[in-house]
Amino acid sequence: MNAIEVKNLHKAFGDMKAVDGVSFEVQQGEIFSLLGPNGAGKTTTLSMLSCLLRPDDGDALVMGHSIRTDQMGVKSVLGIVPQEIALYEDLSARENLTFWGKMYGLRGAALKTRVDEVLEIIGLTERAKDRVGKYSGGMKRRVNIGVALLHKPKVIYMDEPTVGIDPQSRRNILDSVVALKEKGMTVLYTTHYMEEAQELSDHIAIMDTGKLIAYGTNAELVKIVGQMDRITLTVNNESGRVLDAWKKVQGVKQVTGEDGTLTVLADDSNQVLPRLFEAATAHNTRITSVDIREPNLEAVFLHLTGKALRE
Amino acid sequence: MKILDIALKDLTRSSRSVFAVLFMFGVPLLVTGMFYVMFGGMADSDSGISLPKTNIVIANLDAGGSGFDTAMSQFPADADIQSMGDMVVYALEQDDLADLMTVTLVDSAEAAHAEVDSQAAGVAVIIPADFSARFSSLDGQAVLEVYQDPTLTLGPAIVRSVLNQFMDGLSGAKIAVNVAVTQTGKSDPAFIGQVVEAYLTAASLTRDPAALLEVRSPAAAETEEVPLLVRIIGPIMGGMMIFYAFYTATASAETLLQEDEIGTLPRLFTTPTSQATILGGKLLAVLLTVTIQVIVLLSLGALIFRIHWGSLTSIVLFSVGTVLIASAFGVFVNSLMKSTKQGGIIFGGVLTFSGMIGMMPIFLFNNPSAAIGSISLLVPQGWAVRGLFQSMQGAVTGDLFITLLVMLAWAVVLFGIGVWRFQKRYA
Repeated sequence: MNAIEVKNLHKAFGDMKAVDGVSFEVQQGEIFSLLGPNGAGKTTTLSMLSCLLRPDDGDALVMGHSIRTDQMGVKSVLGIVPQEIALYEDLSARENLTFWGKMYGLRGAALKTRVDEVLEIIGLTERAKDRVGKYSGGMKRRVNIGVALLHKPKVIYMDEPTVGIDPQSRRNILDSVVALKEKGMTVLYTTHYMEEAQELSDHIAIMDTGKLIAYGTNAELVKIVGQMDRITLTVNNESGRVLDAWKKVQGVKQVTGEDGTLTVLADDSNQVLPRLFEAATAHNTRITSVDIREPNLEAVFLHLTGKALRE
Repeated sequence: MKILDIALKDLTRSSRSVFAVLFMFGVPLLVTGMFYVMFGGMADSDSGISLPKTNIVIANLDAGGSGFDTAMSQFPADADIQSMGDMVVYALEQDDLADLMTVTLVDSAEAAHAEVDSQAAGVAVIIPADFSARFSSLDGQAVLEVYQDPTLTLGPAIVRSVLNQFMDGLSGAKIAVNVAVTQTGKSDPAFIGQVVEAYLTAASLTRDPAALLEVRSPAAAETEEVPLLVRIIGPIMGGMMIFYAFYTATASAETLLQEDEIGTLPRLFTTPTSQATILGGKLLAVLLTVTIQVIVLLSLGALIFRIHWGSLTSIVLFSVGTVLIASAFGVFVNSLMKSTKQGGIIFGGVLTFSGMIGMMPIFLFNNPSAAIGSISLLVPQGWAVRGLFQSMQGAVTGDLFITLLVMLAWAVVLFGIGVWRFQKRYA
């Protein structure tokens, strides 16, 4: 069963078409990324799927609830992590979570237990009584995510949750997204960071100027470009010794090199690399460094739109 | 239930804002306190306005004289009145003047002058040696010397006023004696003494105005005497309360815009909570905040400044009207704003301008002309002030009820427009 089914969504602001006929499906329990540059229409799409904006046309079902006709049903199965931190800084983390829990219908002992659990999940039990305004940016992000987990939603929307934070906090958030998937939640994740989409996603939809221009797994999308992996290896002796041997390795399309540095073009570096090591060993050559450059979503976006993802 | 959760959350946040608490309670009390100090002292609240004491030195050099011996019987035996000069000293040492002046006796005119020159005293009164003698003489002119610190105005003026009153009394007696002597042809000291005594006995009656005047007050004041200071401070405190109730309501309603800007309002809209509940909770917070403010300020006004706000019924009617009209005003004003960046203009302009118009009767000390009274009713604050005056003056419930109805009408209109605009914005 699909967690989310988006059918031909349209939304315009004046003459500008922010979302123009977007359709996609998100399976239950997967991480689905909406990838695109700023202004591509990701947040508008998410706003419609959150029932914050009413679509001009089209519809979407979230766990079977229509965003047009059953908004309370949609909201009750959704947890939303907004792009900006949306918390009361003059309340403590516990007070924030308790308030938001009530807004999701939790009461009494169940609410208290769940708040304790979420504080544990986001690692802020010890600082629960501190006002959020005194937290670091990363800690605020964790509370921001914690709010979305309170009512154990079946689907979580995360709208560019890593924008403007330090690498360590970013890593924590990416890990937490994977953890949510492992708990069976469906995650709809928007980002303009190609690396995040590649790392996290089971499926990726690429948006630009309000339209969905590509959809599939990471591998499927990359194949649109059709590039081979580029493997750069450094060896401890004259490169000529292994060069001919590597040309004969299955999967290798091309080998070039000089002065101990060789470049191999291959269909799949994962399959080819062990064979390259075997051949090197057979010719008494030691590989001292390896650098693999796979074709990526950046290249896909460039291929599809003629512009870089971060423009 | 969620409405209450949202309202309580807002109340908790407001209570943690030093700025909000200061403007809800601190500033109204502070301003009233400043007027209170200006018009009198905390300790003297029952006796009216207090003034600084004036130090007086008296050099009583009066050697006495024959003539008015019988007049001395008008004074208590322990007063030890031997001369007219002693009478002057006695007059200035009266208990009812003790709050205004401290009297010290010195032996010479030079010593009295020196006390004033050194600013140890504000006023010196020199009673010459022939004071009684000149007075006893039917054609003589008794003269007192008043020597004062030129930097002082009020204290010496009071002393002069007391002395003038005293001298007027003596002059009256002298005139009475002259008339009696002229008409009867008698001029023996015993006769003169009888005339003087009769005059003073008659004059003493006039010292108690209650004996000559029937002082009447409005109905409410008849039941309980309201000191002058409290009558001045009451409307000021009430006015401050009304002004800051409107301010608090506007600031409290502004949290709708603030929450929109920090993202918590859109986030609330993504929860399974209806828009009506969310807006209702926010508006309930405004009502509760202003209610708490009004109750606290009314209570503190009564406790600290001993202000009589009126009967319980009229206080309740006035308070309900004020809370509703202030809250509605706050919601309405904020519905006109696109963002909190416009708050400065709104708070500094609309709130202050309408507040000043509405408060006009307050700063005319409850004695406005009909025109000003009518102008103040062009803004909601004016109706709240009208309700305040009616409650404090013990107006009949019917009159106050009419004012309450007008306030309710204002509230319904302002609230209706405000809620409609907000619903439209967040639809």
